[in-house]
Amino acid sequence: MPLLVKARSFLRNFFSSRRVEADLDQEVHAHLEMLTEENIRAGMPPEEARRAARIELGGIEQVREQVREERLGNWLHSVLSDCRYGLRQLRKNPGATAVMVFTLALAIGATTAIFSVVYGVLLRPLPYPDANRIMAVFEVNSTGGRSHLADPNFDDFRDQNRSFQTIAKYNGYVVSVSGASQPTRTTVAHVSPDFLKVFGTQPVIGRDFSADDAKKGAGPTVLVSYGYWRQNLKSPQDLSQPHLKIDGAIYSVIGVLPAGFHFPADVDLWLPADLEGENKSRTSHNYNAVGRLRDGVSVEQANQDISAIARRIHETSSEQGDYLLKDGIVVPLQDSITGKARSGLLVLLGAVGFLLLVACANVANLLLAQASVRNRELAIRTALGAARARLIRQFLTEAFLLSLVGGGLGLLGAFWGVAGLVGLAPQNLPRLDNVSISIPVLVFAFLLSAAVATGLGAFTAVRATSGDVRLGLEEGGRGQAGSQGSQRVGRVIVAAQIAITLVLVVGAGLFGRSLMKVLEVNPGFRVDKIVTMDVALPWMEDPKAKAGQGIFFSNLIDRLKQIPGVRKVGAISGLPLEGDGLPDGMFVLITQNEVPKTMDGFGALFQPKERLGVADFGVATDGYFQVLGIPLIRGRIFDERDGPNSPHVAVISESLARERWPNQDPIGHTIEFGNMDGDLRLLTIVGIVGDTHEYGLDAPPRPTVYVNLFQRPRSAITLTMLSDADTRLVTSAARGILQDLNPEIPARFRTFSQVYSASLGSRRFNFILIGFFGITALLLATAGVFGVMAYSVSRRTREIGVRVALGAGSGDVLRMILSQGLRTIFIGVAIGIAGSLALTRTVESLLFGVTATDPLTFGGVTLLLVGAALLACFIPARRATKVDPMVALRYE
Amino acid sequence: MSPEPTSLLQGTLDLLILKSLIAGEMHGLGISRRIQQITSGTFVVKPGSLFPALHRMEEEGWISAFWGESENNRRAKYYRLTKAGTKQLEVETKRWGRVSWAIAQALQAS
Repeated sequence: MPLLVKARSFLRNFFSSRRVEADLDQEVHAHLEMLTEENIRAGMPPEEARRAARIELGGIEQVREQVREERLGNWLHSVLSDCRYGLRQLRKNPGATAVMVFTLALAIGATTAIFSVVYGVLLRPLPYPDANRIMAVFEVNSTGGRSHLADPNFDDFRDQNRSFQTIAKYNGYVVSVSGASQPTRTTVAHVSPDFLKVFGTQPVIGRDFSADDAKKGAGPTVLVSYGYWRQNLKSPQDLSQPHLKIDGAIYSVIGVLPAGFHFPADVDLWLPADLEGENKSRTSHNYNAVGRLRDGVSVEQANQDISAIARRIHETSSEQGDYLLKDGIVVPLQDSITGKARSGLLVLLGAVGFLLLVACANVANLLLAQASVRNRELAIRTALGAARARLIRQFLTEAFLLSLVGGGLGLLGAFWGVAGLVGLAPQNLPRLDNVSISIPVLVFAFLLSAAVATGLGAFTAVRATSGDVRLGLEEGGRGQAGSQGSQRVGRVIVAAQIAITLVLVVGAGLFGRSLMKVLEVNPGFRVDKIVTMDVALPWMEDPKAKAGQGIFFSNLIDRLKQIPGVRKVGAISGLPLEGDGLPDGMFVLITQNEVPKTMDGFGALFQPKERLGVADFGVATDGYFQVLGIPLIRGRIFDERDGPNSPHVAVISESLARERWPNQDPIGHTIEFGNMDGDLRLLTIVGIVGDTHEYGLDAPPRPTVYVNLFQRPRSAITLTMLSDADTRLVTSAARGILQDLNPEIPARFRTFSQVYSASLGSRRFNFILIGFFGITALLLATAGVFGVMAYSVSRRTREIGVRVALGAGSGDVLRMILSQGLRTIFIGVAIGIAGSLALTRTVESLLFGVTATDPLTFGGVTLLLVGAALLACFIPARRATKVDPMVALRYE
Repeated sequence: MSPEPTSLLQGTLDLLILKSLIAGEMHGLGISRRIQQITSGTFVVKPGSLFPALHRMEEEGWISAFWGESENNRRAKYYRLTKAGTKQLEVETKRWGRVSWAIAQALQAS
């Protein structure tokens, strides 16, 4: 009941305040009249009575004000009046207000946009129930790196662990799929039957895999993604009809996964693993693993559990060597997905935070300049009884108005900025489709604006209301308002701004120099004029079927050579600069009579360590080396002599020759590399070719063994065509040829320049963004220096006038102003260099070819910054020299 | 001879207003005079304290206001105790009893 009364009073006070006021007015007047009458009754003359009544009442306006302050909702009234007053203040200086709002909008917008990427990629939980309980499980190899799991090792992890509710393995690769609306190259995953249970998800139509679906020899079944079901299968409710031809076998579609389910990323079809039996080797690392922790089990416990099992395997396995696991590790799945992107994104967030600080410093300086003009107003309000708290609230209100408007505009900008960021981001940035302006991002933007407002408001309020306001009245009268104190604070702010800007620009410089250094790297191959064509035939184990695929590719290459403008055609099992590169493994130097008859005898070969070698394994044609311009150093590359039935040959890279055969000639040596493709025939080394930067320009070349595609055929290859003709013509001609040879096999076409360019994506992304932040900060800081100097000169006009009148030349004045500016600049630069030295170390791992303390970058950036700042000082200093003493002394 | 007027203790004004309204509805001046009377002139409530208190108590729902005619046929704002106000009077009375007892104890202590 009283609550209801209160609510009614509040609403009445707020919405019919005029009536409430009139009521009060009438009541107080009636009271006065009654007092007067009382006094008259007591025998006073009317005039006397009225006077006494007034004295007793104590001032109609004061009584009314006291009642008003007691009213419910009074605070709201006063906040609104603060807002009205604040808006009037901001409108009074439309130019400064626009600059402040724009600066804040830029900084808050940029910060929000970057945060939305950080949130979407790093922070947002994976879209599965209790996603933080889902872990990725890895083997740890002999060098301490994480590696995929071998089948028997996974089985031991699964059967012996006490930490996981469910644990499943999966892999992913691109295959040709037909049987749906049209043949597609689709990413499929082979998974163990518990895979979906790990994610706590189920098909929305149909059923999950059962244990029977995964048994050796079971009928092939497939789960499809929601998107694939809609686009390629045309959304049938009845799943008994659709069948897909995947990798040459017919699969029944048994279930459709929910729309949001995308794991592993880009996969559209999930198939049971090991329908043809498991690989028995503990050193063939074919699978990733994910598991859901049991309730109450910590990541740490799971780690110890898996590690103990892994070490047991390491000690007891008969397969020793570098490729046997040494340990095991469990990491949260989210961390394992985003691990590589983390450092880069956090650096960007830090950089944009610096930009925000520089922007806030500019706004703070502008607000301070305005506040010092308002000294007089503040003094008057204080004299009229305003408490300091009330004045501080006024400043906070104005700062909130500025920041919220700036933040709102910034948020609008961020919508646009996020779209730009997503377009600019490297393709290998995980979870990019998660990046959007979501509710948490909106909350972030609001909190950020509020924090900026509080900081700016509190700062200006404390600066402006400290000290004796009466001085404001006096000084104001002389037209030299609050100059000394606020100018010193202004210079401190500018020095801080310069320091932060220097750190940012140094960062941008280091990233820029790294990018340049990367571009200077000779990749070891040609990039331009090459069209690439990815083709995947069904995967085959049978040697005869494989030989048929070799013939297919041979025919395809012959036909592609006929395309007008195509000069040379080659093929390779994996393009450089892309994905995980070529697979690597251990080979053995043996002679013909030591060759084992079957793979079972293969393990025994790894005994004497001196005969082992490690290399990447590439399957190529002679044309590949010609198309990419990889030079032949010695010996020969593949030619007509090397048919399927003649002795198998290999070409090795220069670094392998140097590392494995120091001071020897590798040509003529025979090696056994059968564990890579199951073909035990010896390989005779016939040539040495130049090194290539397989794994990216910033990674060193890897020792590589190339075998001949026509001797060692494989199902999935990338064709490379060197052509002078228009890419589109070549592409359509090549597509026609493939269609002609096998209509069920689709191809993907790109130019090699696209692959090259994509491989630089994350470096370019970091450089462009940090460069943008750096340039923006530089402009803001320059504007800040200019603003403070111009303000200082205008405040010192009288002083300068006096100096000139006393005989100071324009050179003296120029020197005086410039030296004042220079001191600020140098303090800022010194702090900035110290800060950069401390901070750039954190980005060292992202740099290439330059150290974090690169003197060239530091020197160049310092010069740039000092130059820009001096220029910003020079203009006000020039103006100071033009001061006419007569005018200046009459000033104001 | 009335004793020297004393300034009101924090919280006692509400109690006195509620108490004076027990006698029936009254306008502001009436309340002021009634307090003076029942405290034997110890407390004189100035309009500057009275009106804010009245408006606050009205918003609390302890008293309600209406316009009426004064003794001299003048329009005046009258206040009367509500049910919540009666309850509040009990609460305040009890509280005051405790406070004054405690103060008396404190002053008697040697």
